[in-house]
Amino acid sequence: MKIKATTFNRVLLGVVLAIALVIPLLIRTNQYNLVLVTTVLLYGVLATAWNIIGGMAGQLDLAAFAYLGLGAFTSGTLLIRWNVSPWIGMILGGLVATGFAVLVGFPLFRFKVREVWYALTSSALVEVLKVAFVMWEDVGGPVERYLPYYSFSLYHMRFGTYIPYYYIMLAILVIALLVNYRIGRSKLGFYLRALGEDEDAAEILGVDARACKLKALMIYAFIVGATGAVYACMYGFIHPSFFSGARSTEVAILGIVGGMGITYGPLLAAVILVSAREFLRASLGGQMESLYLVIYSVVLILIALFRPQGIAVFFQDAYRKLLSRVTGDEHVLKANTPGI
Amino acid sequence: MSEILRVEGLHAGYGKVPVLRDVSFHVNEGEVVAILGPNGAGKTTLLKTISGLIHPTAGKILFDGQEIGGWPPHRVTKAGIAHVPEGGRLFPNMSVRENLLMGAYGNRESLRTGVLEEVYEMFPVLRERHRQMARTLSGGEKQMLAIGRGLASRPRFLMLDEPSLGLAPKLVDGIYERLQALRGHGLTVLLVEQNIHYALELADRCYVLENGRIVLEGTGEELARSEHIKKHYLGL
Repeated sequence: MKIKATTFNRVLLGVVLAIALVIPLLIRTNQYNLVLVTTVLLYGVLATAWNIIGGMAGQLDLAAFAYLGLGAFTSGTLLIRWNVSPWIGMILGGLVATGFAVLVGFPLFRFKVREVWYALTSSALVEVLKVAFVMWEDVGGPVERYLPYYSFSLYHMRFGTYIPYYYIMLAILVIALLVNYRIGRSKLGFYLRALGEDEDAAEILGVDARACKLKALMIYAFIVGATGAVYACMYGFIHPSFFSGARSTEVAILGIVGGMGITYGPLLAAVILVSAREFLRASLGGQMESLYLVIYSVVLILIALFRPQGIAVFFQDAYRKLLSRVTGDEHVLKANTPGI
Repeated sequence: MSEILRVEGLHAGYGKVPVLRDVSFHVNEGEVVAILGPNGAGKTTLLKTISGLIHPTAGKILFDGQEIGGWPPHRVTKAGIAHVPEGGRLFPNMSVRENLLMGAYGNRESLRTGVLEEVYEMFPVLRERHRQMARTLSGGEKQMLAIGRGLASRPRFLMLDEPSLGLAPKLVDGIYERLQALRGHGLTVLLVEQNIHYALELADRCYVLENGRIVLEGTGEELARSEHIKKHYLGL
């Protein structure tokens, strides 16, 4: 039987989504596993958002957890002090992160801070914020601030189990993927890709590099900031250690390893690498501390050596083979046909 | 003939290193003007300064009577100047068609009026390869795509930086044939070239740039007869 490519794509997406929807129900008794899958989704969201500034616009941003932390502190403080619902906190957290992105991005892009210098500046940002929030005792300070506990309150986004957080994170992930997909097909996405490839060449063809990069940074910061609100609720506290340079770098690694500029690449990387890492940590951590990091790093090095375009390329090939089999169309096997 | 570009007493450079010193010249509408000179004379810097990638430290750049010195590159492009940079500077992981579209986005009108067809007519090989990634093209094809991408915004004024760079003589002939055809369409061109034979033949007027200063100017024929050119550039 021959099936159309669009039908095939829809079925494939449907199956993936269905699996994502039932996973927590299958493992609902094990809170550890629930945290694990939610963490995978969290990194999926962050890496997918990173794809806009990093993968498309080619800016090696290492500040994901700066924006995440700002979102978490905004929403968390609003909830603790004024009992504002984190659902509103999500939007406000996103806006605060976006505002901060403008504050940082405007001068950086104005004075053409690029490549490694952009990476270094953004990475310093996380540390600066961490110190600032440790010093700022009204909001942060060295001690954790706990969010009020409720065994199940939708208004407070506080639940005694991780299952709701999983679904919230999944919803954000779907939105992040859609935003990515739409940008990839828009004029902005086209400009960003050109900027990522050759900034000078794009500029002399009429691309306003400053404005485009700033837009990309703002969209990225908003998604990450909003996610920060959920992050705070899920962990039940806010603390300056949220501003983590190491985790920010990990987001960029996932984005790069997944495949720069490919919509679903960073998500694939997050699913595979974060679960592999956590699995290794759980199974090896008992015998030999940190051995999992060694294995994890070796995997990263191997990918960098053999698939520098990202692991999404593997899946693209497999997907094409499968598609040509079900549709009976040999044409899709050609390397130049656009993928999903 | 009306003047389209006038550069007056232009100084520019990279950081504190001056490259251009008091450069003045002009280009009339419909003319092909070549800037000649040895390596390191400042030819590329001159084009970069006009297109806004480098800010002038002193002097004026007037396009159509309007001062454009210090404008950001995207504004300069919108004003009607296209710059085909040295080595083409294509987007390697974008298709030939996407590269041309990037050029066309500089001027919205041009797409609606079928500029891609015109470029394909001028360089038929690009039509054949329109789905191919730019990085898979040959050297000559890359240069054609770079020129096509520059033309896709339907510029009033085209700046070409070393279109013969790294190409076999036969391919250079091909490129210059197309440029000759473009000149037939009345496009104003500012050409930077080391390959002096081709430039002298194509250009209406030439300027010779050495050490950041203009040392000679004249028509192609005049310069071909000049002792300085014969001795230093043609090796006669």
